[in-house]
Amino acid sequence: MSRRSRYVSPIKKNSSFALNITSMTDMFTILLVFLLQTYSTSEVEVLPVTGLNLPASNSTSNPVLGIKVSISKEFIRIDDKVVAGVKNLEVDAKDVDAKDKNFIPQLFQELDLIAKKADQGPAKEGKILLQADESLPYETLRKVMYTSSMAGFPQLKLVTVVGD
Amino acid sequence: MKKLHIDHNSEFELDLAPLLAVMVKLVPVLLVSSAFVQVMIVETELPQVVTQAIEKQRQDPKKTISLEVSPVGGIKIVIEAAGKSSENLVPLKKDGGFDFPALHNALLEVKKANPEIFQIDLIPENSVPYKDIVKIMDETRKARDLTVKFPVFDEKKGQTVETNYMFPEIVFVNITEG
Repeated sequence: MSRRSRYVSPIKKNSSFALNITSMTDMFTILLVFLLQTYSTSEVEVLPVTGLNLPASNSTSNPVLGIKVSISKEFIRIDDKVVAGVKNLEVDAKDVDAKDKNFIPQLFQELDLIAKKADQGPAKEGKILLQADESLPYETLRKVMYTSSMAGFPQLKLVTVVGD
Repeated sequence: MKKLHIDHNSEFELDLAPLLAVMVKLVPVLLVSSAFVQVMIVETELPQVVTQAIEKQRQDPKKTISLEVSPVGGIKIVIEAAGKSSENLVPLKKDGGFDFPALHNALLEVKKANPEIFQIDLIPENSVPYKDIVKIMDETRKARDLTVKFPVFDEKKGQTVETNYMFPEIVFVNITEG
């Protein structure tokens, strides 16, 4: 069996080469322009709740400070704390007051507690940032609005996304 | 004197490394502060003249305009003044949805006839979806056509100024109803 001798190119171990970074610079330039466009200058950061589709609006008002109340298809929350359940797009019957069908006692208690603790700021001014799923009927929203106003939060700011 | 020879056809490679270094630092900073979903709020940031007019209307409500929203019957614009009321119905589209452009045009006419009114009472039925309520509020607040202006009297300056706000003060009047 004969062994063929292969040609082995000589490798200069100490040689240096110039990396072509033009294409990478192009990519970064595009990325930079895109990120500059999406740069947020709003003083208040509102993170949309997972699984909640906010309605679209042509409003251009930036969010203001407020107590964050969200109504998804499953829960009513104050910040991350669940205060009532939602079933079939309606407030769970067990979380609604037996005498007053528009009143949600747990939501009232939590908001009332926040209002009593507050010395200044959005809680004192009675501001609520309401995030609600676009498919919810007015009946569900109305119960939250009613309870909030009873707890001393009559200023409701409806959170929406930009678009038509 | 020796003449300097310049080769105009010579090529050179631009050193992009410092530029890339800046971009690599900028990209993470912008990534952190970027808002990929732009969230806004439906609020009424109004000029002082409009705010004064709303306040005046609250104190002396001679005329009220309300929108009765029904997913079956459409949107009814009700104007009440001096015990008399007039109605204007904006029917649903053929596909059963609300006719928002028709509502906007109807409200433009109402505003032209009542330039001193800035508040509107919203009365949606229980089954009206939230997204439709927000769209109705969008159609109600401002005139889409920026050339359309409504006169409002500035009491401080004693002159009439123009605004494109129609009914920025939206009140849900049926919140406490059973």
